[in-house]
Amino acid sequence: MAAQQRGVSHSNLEEITIGQMSASSEDEGPEEVAFDASKTVALKSMKDALESVKRYSPLVNVRRKHFNVFKEKRLPQTLLEELETVPQNDCSHHCLGVNTNCKCNLRYHPVAGSSLQGNCSVMWVKDRSTAYSLQQSAMDFVHARLYGPGTQRTTNAQVLSLERKRGLNQGAAVQFVNKKLAEQKAKAERTNKRFIRKQKLIPS
Amino acid sequence: MGEFTVHRVRFFHYMPSAVRALAFQPQRQKIAVARTDGSLEILNRADHLFQEKVIPGREQRGTEALAWAGQRLFSAGLNGELVEYDMQELREKYRLDASGGPVWTLTCNPQGTRLAVGCEDGTVKLFEVCDDGIQFERNLAKQKGRILSLSWHPSGSRLVAGMAGVIWVFDAGTGQSVHRLLVERGTGAPRSKECVVWSVVCLSDGTIVSGDSSGNVKVWDGDTGTLIRNHQVTKWDVLALSVSQDETSLVAGTSEGTVVQFQHLSVVLGREDKEWVQTRTFKNHTHDVRAVLELDTAVVSGGMDTQLVVRPLLDKIDVKTSASALRKIHFPHRRLVSCSRTARLLLFQHRIHLELWRLGESEGTGVPGSSLPIKRKPEKLLHLKTKGEEHICCSALSPCGGWVVVSTVTNLRLYRLQCDETISITKVSKLPKVVSSANQICFSSDSSYLFTASTCSSVHVLALSQSGCTFVCTLKPKSCSGQAILLLTASDDGKWLAAANADHEVQVYNLQKRKAYCTVPVYSSGVTAMSINPATNNLFMVHADQQIFEFSLEQKQYTDWSRLVHRKGLHPQWLERDTPVTNVTFSPRNPAHVILHDMYMFCIIDQTLPLPERNSQLVNQLTLRSLPEKERRAHSHAFKICKTFKELLFVELLEDQSLVVIERPLLDITAQLPPPVRQKKFAT
Repeated sequence: MAAQQRGVSHSNLEEITIGQMSASSEDEGPEEVAFDASKTVALKSMKDALESVKRYSPLVNVRRKHFNVFKEKRLPQTLLEELETVPQNDCSHHCLGVNTNCKCNLRYHPVAGSSLQGNCSVMWVKDRSTAYSLQQSAMDFVHARLYGPGTQRTTNAQVLSLERKRGLNQGAAVQFVNKKLAEQKAKAERTNKRFIRKQKLIPS
Repeated sequence: MGEFTVHRVRFFHYMPSAVRALAFQPQRQKIAVARTDGSLEILNRADHLFQEKVIPGREQRGTEALAWAGQRLFSAGLNGELVEYDMQELREKYRLDASGGPVWTLTCNPQGTRLAVGCEDGTVKLFEVCDDGIQFERNLAKQKGRILSLSWHPSGSRLVAGMAGVIWVFDAGTGQSVHRLLVERGTGAPRSKECVVWSVVCLSDGTIVSGDSSGNVKVWDGDTGTLIRNHQVTKWDVLALSVSQDETSLVAGTSEGTVVQFQHLSVVLGREDKEWVQTRTFKNHTHDVRAVLELDTAVVSGGMDTQLVVRPLLDKIDVKTSASALRKIHFPHRRLVSCSRTARLLLFQHRIHLELWRLGESEGTGVPGSSLPIKRKPEKLLHLKTKGEEHICCSALSPCGGWVVVSTVTNLRLYRLQCDETISITKVSKLPKVVSSANQICFSSDSSYLFTASTCSSVHVLALSQSGCTFVCTLKPKSCSGQAILLLTASDDGKWLAAANADHEVQVYNLQKRKAYCTVPVYSSGVTAMSINPATNNLFMVHADQQIFEFSLEQKQYTDWSRLVHRKGLHPQWLERDTPVTNVTFSPRNPAHVILHDMYMFCIIDQTLPLPERNSQLVNQLTLRSLPEKERRAHSHAFKICKTFKELLFVELLEDQSLVVIERPLLDITAQLPPPVRQKKFAT
């Protein structure tokens, strides 16, 4: 349909130009086309072009695909019923529901005969009490007010460096040691040793 | 004096927590300090600000506000609970859920009968203070928004509550609101950010003073509900306000680290009309000041930089004394480190875990001041976490290095340790039921007995053996004042045990007969460190006013050296030191040497040498070194002070005559603090 539209618009233009050319070859004056008519034709062709771009843009296709995926992948009712029958662990950890990377030492039960795909497992999430969430939101409020955006804070290293610069005993700027560098160095040393031993670079 | 190999230890990463609230009790001159980790400290203003009592906190239970009601102390936190503390047993008496969500503020009326609590849900709850607890009385009219600050009118009839953008004045009798004071946003603040009133103070003539997040201190007329005067104090927030008892002076703590003083003066001399005028600014903090206290002659402030600053307000001073000097309290006034001299082990006490380290070894000798090459590095042997949420109250390592004991407020755990080739630790499971917790613990010198301080100033004696721990007896003092024991020390030969409690009493027990032996004469200042000399069995005590006493246990009287010290008097520079001595040890080779340290120096007192004259130089080690040999004898005195090592937490002498010096540089603590405000300075 769009090709047809494009064809139509092209053919329109072609018609006009052919009309003009044929008119000039016959030594007659050019065909008089009313301004309004040509304006409406041009605007229509632009609108058609924009619409066609919108309809077939790659993003739109991706959004459509996503929507279809989520539509398809809702948990079926049967699976939900199965999950309800899984025994609830008395866990003191709180961890996300479906998370294979969690480090708590809970025994989680893979649901037997489950229709879950891949290696998903099911865990009960502990009900966090409202008191804790209220406490957390109160602490966030204070933190946002004192250290949030718009509070103009700087680092401790900066303040100490300024003191050194303007104080009585002037000295170099302060930069705190990154402790992770020491860990990385130790790790690098160990891997070097292992490599040398493995490759038998040093004759023993 | 001799040369020592010094193990300079900086791997104790002690991190104090920020000061959140301060409260003053005028009757006994006690300052209560609440920190963000939930711990509570009581400082005695009458005794050189000695940190007498420490109540440890819990995980996730920070304190937001403190209030004294007479002799009783209450606190409230963002977990929504009100807590009353038992000052004798140093623990929480009970917790009461305020049922209003997180509690932001707590204040007691001047009569000491009611507590007002400001909650997250916008209610101000009034609690009645009864003999055995507190009881909910009523709610005042509920408001929209959270109540962030409260203040009682000195008559107890009105309450002023500060919220975000508005201040409400309530009538405490009817519970209805009387006035509504609108707090404007500061210039340049976005529309969405309301001006939070962090602190309010109500004065007896009805004036209300408020400090808010736009950096303004506003003076309002409480009777008409109008703004009288606005002072822009800082660009950042004004976090705390405090007014003096006679209402002539007010201090405001800001996010910048400054404390601004306002005084009620008449602007023109001679005129009667007075107003609040901004007078002085003190900049003693690097980070936000979250709590201030206006005592009539001093201003106490504390904040995110974890230090407590006491700034005296004495205006006209002729002679500079310690009372007029600025005082900064950085480190706690008690020991956090235990050392095993024979096994060369160190035990560090953190909030919820213990660390056990073995000291390294060096080789060779060197010139004084040089560093020796290290043969073996110090290694961390153990990281012991406590179960549960409570913070550690006290811990100890036995002198042989075979036992570790750690106590929280509710339970005590004993561990058997083996540190030879492989490190193994086993928990001693069956402890006597009598021992549930302890606020001080001490091992005997041969590690066969464990002494735990318990309720009512009594001490439990437990015997340690391969099979475990058995209860032997309880040592009770003759007259029980009931206060908690703060220090315990046992003698080297296992005969004596000395216990110092919070009432400035020192009780001595005879361990062979297992009963109280005598009490040291009560001195007006509390004991900060004490130890029993192994050779002479003299109890050596250092007090908070820097006085030194030596008490002979066998003769039940002060020794001649102690009497000489008091006849002559200590050197003024010694008495002017503002950090207390936290550890006293002795040298096994030389019984006349006493090694003690405070935060900025360590000192070896030689009891055979003469005492320094008043006008002579106290710290004279360097000058002595420059003198020729013959003249040194004439000039040397008993106090040999070394100031090379600063910010000391612990100093101990090991068996091979090497010193262990644990430093905690304040710069390392500053590195881990939250960010300070950014101040633009000229030419930077």
